[in-house]
Amino acid sequence: MENRPLEYDYTVAKLFMYNAIFVGVAGMLAGVVLAWQMAFPQFNYILGVNFAEYTNFGRLRAIHTDSVIYGFVLSAVWSTWYYVGQRVLKVSMAESKFLMFAGKAHFWIYMAASVIIVIGLQLGITSSKEYSEFEWPIDAGIVVVWVLWGISIFGLIGIRREKSLYISIWYYIATFLAVAMLHIFNNAEIPTWIAAPGVGNWYHSVSMYAGTNDALVQWWFGHNAVAFLLTTPIIAMSYYFLPKESGQAVYSYKLSLLAFWGLMFVYLWAGGHHLLFSTVPDWMQTMGSVFSVVLILPSWGSAVNMLLTMKGEWQQVAASPLIKFMVMASTFYMFSTLEGPIQAIKSVNALAHFTDWIIGHVHDGALGWVGFMVIAALSHMAPRMFKREIYSKSLLGTQFWIQTLGVILYFTSMWIAGITQGMMWRAHDEFGNLAYSFIDTVVVLHPYFTIRAVGGTLYLIGMVMFAYNMYKTMTSSRVVEESELQNATPMGA
Amino acid sequence: MFHWLEKNPFFFAVAVFVVIAFAGLVEILPNFAQASRPILGAKPYSTLELTGRLVYIKNNCNGCHSQLIRPFKSETDRYGHYSMSGEYAYDRPFLWGSKRTGPDLMRVGNYRTTDWHETHMKDPVAVVPGSIMPAYTWLFKNIADVDTAYAEQLTVQKFFAVPYNTELPMADGSKVTVALADTLEGARASALEEAKVVAADMKDQAVKDAVAAGQVPEIVALIAYLNRLK
Amino acid sequence: MNKTVLAAIIVTIAMLGFTYAAVEMAGGLDKLIKDGDWVNMLAILGAVILVIATTFVVTKYVRQMQNDTASGKLAEETWDGIGEYKNEPPFGWFVLYLIMIIWAIWYFLAGYPVNSYSQIGEYNQKVAEHDVKFNEQYKDMDDETLKEMGGSIFIVQCAPCHGLQADGINGQAADLTARISEKSVKYVVLNGSNSNLMGTSMPMPDRNGLLNSNTSALITDAEIDAVSKYVAGGLTGTEGADVFAGTCAACHGADGKGMEMVAPNIAQMSPEMVGMVLNHGKKGAIGAMPAFTNLTEVQHKAINAYVASLSQK
Ligand code: HEC
Ligand code: HEC
Ligand code: HEC
Ligand code: HEM
Ligand code: HEM
Ligand SMILES: [Ca+2]
Ligand SMILES: [Ca+2]
Ligand SMILES: [Cu+2]
Repeated sequence: MENRPLEYDYTVAKLFMYNAIFVGVAGMLAGVVLAWQMAFPQFNYILGVNFAEYTNFGRLRAIHTDSVIYGFVLSAVWSTWYYVGQRVLKVSMAESKFLMFAGKAHFWIYMAASVIIVIGLQLGITSSKEYSEFEWPIDAGIVVVWVLWGISIFGLIGIRREKSLYISIWYYIATFLAVAMLHIFNNAEIPTWIAAPGVGNWYHSVSMYAGTNDALVQWWFGHNAVAFLLTTPIIAMSYYFLPKESGQAVYSYKLSLLAFWGLMFVYLWAGGHHLLFSTVPDWMQTMGSVFSVVLILPSWGSAVNMLLTMKGEWQQVAASPLIKFMVMASTFYMFSTLEGPIQAIKSVNALAHFTDWIIGHVHDGALGWVGFMVIAALSHMAPRMFKREIYSKSLLGTQFWIQTLGVILYFTSMWIAGITQGMMWRAHDEFGNLAYSFIDTVVVLHPYFTIRAVGGTLYLIGMVMFAYNMYKTMTSSRVVEESELQNATPMGA
Repeated sequence: MFHWLEKNPFFFAVAVFVVIAFAGLVEILPNFAQASRPILGAKPYSTLELTGRLVYIKNNCNGCHSQLIRPFKSETDRYGHYSMSGEYAYDRPFLWGSKRTGPDLMRVGNYRTTDWHETHMKDPVAVVPGSIMPAYTWLFKNIADVDTAYAEQLTVQKFFAVPYNTELPMADGSKVTVALADTLEGARASALEEAKVVAADMKDQAVKDAVAAGQVPEIVALIAYLNRLK
Repeated sequence: MNKTVLAAIIVTIAMLGFTYAAVEMAGGLDKLIKDGDWVNMLAILGAVILVIATTFVVTKYVRQMQNDTASGKLAEETWDGIGEYKNEPPFGWFVLYLIMIIWAIWYFLAGYPVNSYSQIGEYNQKVAEHDVKFNEQYKDMDDETLKEMGGSIFIVQCAPCHGLQADGINGQAADLTARISEKSVKYVVLNGSNSNLMGTSMPMPDRNGLLNSNTSALITDAEIDAVSKYVAGGLTGTEGADVFAGTCAACHGADGKGMEMVAPNIAQMSPEMVGMVLNHGKKGAIGAMPAFTNLTEVQHKAINAYVASLSQK
């Protein structure tokens, strides 16, 4: 091994970081607007009735989900990849012109696709499949972007100096492979111009699967897209940034190993929990349900490994906002990976499915686990990439508490809303007739929708504080020496 | 073995792929042929209905509305017979949804009518006080994309042998034929004929005028679709 | 008490409080217990377990952050300075994992093997139980109970169109608090009617089939206006009365109460009339009303009685 410290090249990591921060704010702004729309429908006409076509809940919803998942989270994942990948493989992007080029192409093609997607969704161009709304030209673009990332992963691995792959790399590889497979099969579709050239929209297509089959493939995709975009790459982050930031060694290699292979094996079987009591065969539903419950353990394995890595390091938790974010993220990860399996139990799902309790589950994962981990990762990387300390520690600390409060308001309100709604839908009166009309079950939720909107707004305020803090970090905070960048991230007051 | 894999990225990737791909096969394949068979009484979408379905998708109605009635007493009381797999045989994509901010719509054609939809889509709170559904005023102005629906019909006929222009047996013993025109002009004309039937029950003068002038506003197509959900 | 443990207890109590609030919103704990809907019970139980398990497991690890120290044998390698301990996985976790895997295998092979459960079978059984229970209980209802039951159905099934007040929401649907509006009568007389109100497809003729026997001529515009007012006014007053007697009474009877197999009661809403509308739907001046074929016989009876009572105050 060489002694000379490597000069890592963060050009691509920086590009993705800018986008992650920008889309993080924009995508969550969309979420906040959605939340206010559900509490006060007037917000559907926020730019006036004439623009309601573009600002109404239906259109905005897909923009929110796609931009937070594929804009905010995926950019952050790639930013960390282009940072972590080099460092744990001990090889610099600067060593290969080709990889550098592929990395930049990766970013710019991705940006182009993102812009087209957002405009398209505004105009109502969608295939309706959740988290896979894109028509075939974009699907093809996504394949190109994915291949470029693959080139980067396997290219860097090919020229690595560190012979064995660090845990984070396992998770990045899994993310890459799984999403590639899911994307291709879920988007098997036939463009209409083949059978009808020149008739109607050239970009329109028809799914290869119909009805129940389409649902099956979609939720095999949907469930695992969650697994491999909102779970595995985030675990990759946690295995790098928590030990690195705290200077602690990972608690247990064996635990990492069992959790990783367990997760890989079990996750794919659990997709049936999105289709409980639907028209897919009973045995398939049961399978989804049973494997979901098994899934608690490999999920908790990673979280426990993180928490135990911090054993005896309470002073760090108390002192560092970054560590706070990561410990809280692991906690929310445990929470949502216990909540998910509980909701996957058939009789619980009978009540929870279609309700806001699911939305609560989504967001304690998305905000508490994914959001917090990403924020910590970006905060750790920025000083190292820009050679400046974090502009303000107190701002970051305040952000932590504001956002924690935001998440708590979000999931508690959705918890009540979902259970209330689920019970009301099921209720029969003393005559054996339905006790509530549908609108009764909508109107009672108003206070909870309002609380959620407030919680979401708090979280967004935190994101704006974060964006500002990062902007200052990149441009004007104190310049730091390499030697200050070993473990704990340097921060200004 | 794991240490060895961690030093051999190629085999590591292969191992991961095998582990994750395996489950997909078990989950998806066994039921595939079975689930694609239409039930007695299922019929393909007419040109206007399919146009309306595209309007539904375009506006992401499925973000708030499910089309899946689960086999629970409380759901069948509210929405009608539970869903059966073969009923969806012509649904590409499926529109089950995953959130019920609004009620299920799988059989809404049974208990709502054209004029109700018209008022409700224009101003939901006018008929359902407390509704949080947005008002879809632009649907009354935008002209629907009949052409793309026709292209979709041709596609499913060609690739998936969807039985257009074929006598189909219905549950009550009757026979139904869903027509598919030979030409684009023919398809537009037949969509317009369907649109006239819907518009006759509507009140909005601008919409009636548009249909009289040979155009199909999005709302007309959408209502044709909603009415057929039974 | 340690601050962390205290915090855990507070979180737990707060979340249990929220769950309790949700139950209260949906009818209350008493009802939950009385109904014995185990789906509700299990969901609540799940929520409770979720909170308690997460809070206390995390608290356990937080306590270790506070009091324990890191230890173990380090692996030889490091990655970007990150080391790994060769610690064994936590025992509890490992054992639970094994138990879960064994449980899953047992579940498939022995417990509930593939295809031993049918959701449709379960549904049919539930519906049968429900029907037995309520059919027994409401076999013979007095009028009051019948109407009360009808009212509860009305809110769910009919209010979206007719409104909670049954006033038709500004002309959106028929105003059920009065027999019929002037606009509707006029429409029927002008265009005829063919809504199966008599249970047969017997139509009412349009104006070209309505002969005023007083004048021996087809009914005129002025007469139509007059008789519409008269009928909508509940067949009171004098204006239009002669037209009615001369034109309509032949079928609808002198008092407008209809004749079996000939024409419906247009003076009052009757349960039979409501029943016809529910069975066949109705299309008229206001719009279209769909048929409601999904209701049971008892529900039908109840709602007919309820709606008929609305205009008979
Ligand atoms: C913000 C969520 C939302 C969106 C988006 C939405 N709806 Fe709704 N919808 C509701 C709610 C809530 C109700 C129940 C209250 C009511 O009837 O207005 C409802 C009710 C309905 C009903 C009445 C069903 C019944 O059984 O009473 C129909 C039909 C309907 N919506 C169609 C649509 C269509 C078509 C679209 C898209 C063009 C759409 N909705 C978009 C929320 C939404
Ligand atoms: C030839 C017999 C006949 C005559 C004459 C007749 N009706 Fe009718 N009327 C009917 C029948 C039959 C129906 C039920 C039609 C249906 O099923 O829709 C009916 C229905 C009606 C209804 C509709 C009730 C509802 O709830 O919508 C009104 C109002 C009415 N008649 C008013 C009149 C008036 C006013 C006249 C005289 C100007 C008149 N009818 C003369 C046979 C007659
Ligand atoms: C989709 C909307 C809709 C629903 C749901 C609905 N109705 Fe109606 N109903 C109408 C409309 C519209 C009319 C008026 C038809 C006309 O005469 O123009 C009507 C007419 C009626 C009439 C005839 C009134 C008259 O004087 O002619 C009765 C009775 C009635 N409804 C009862 C019910 C009951 C009971 C229910 C619930 C089980 C119900 N309706 C549900 C729309 C609806
Ligand atoms: C053990 C792990 C998990 C299990 C078993 C699980 C289970 C479930 C279940 C049962 C549903 C509801 C399906 C329905 O009824 O509609 C669901 C929805 C969802 N979960 Fe999880 N969950 C887990 C972890 C996570 C995590 C960590 C996230 C990260 C954010 C997440 C994100 C989501 C999302 C986005 C949905 C909504 C899907 C939709 O659009 O319907 N889940 N999950
Ligand atoms: C400020 C923060 C946010 C707010 C206020 C917010 C709000 C919302 C709202 C109101 C919905 C629609 C719920 C419904 O249809 O009932 C939604 C859906 C969703 N959001 Fe967010 N969101 C936020 C952040 C995020 C983030 C960071 C992610 C992912 C990383 C995310 C992922 C999702 C997903 C996957 C759904 C769809 C859930 C489903 O269909 O089950 N959100 N969000
Ligand atoms: Ca696609
Ligand atoms: Ca969803
Ligand atoms: Cu899932």
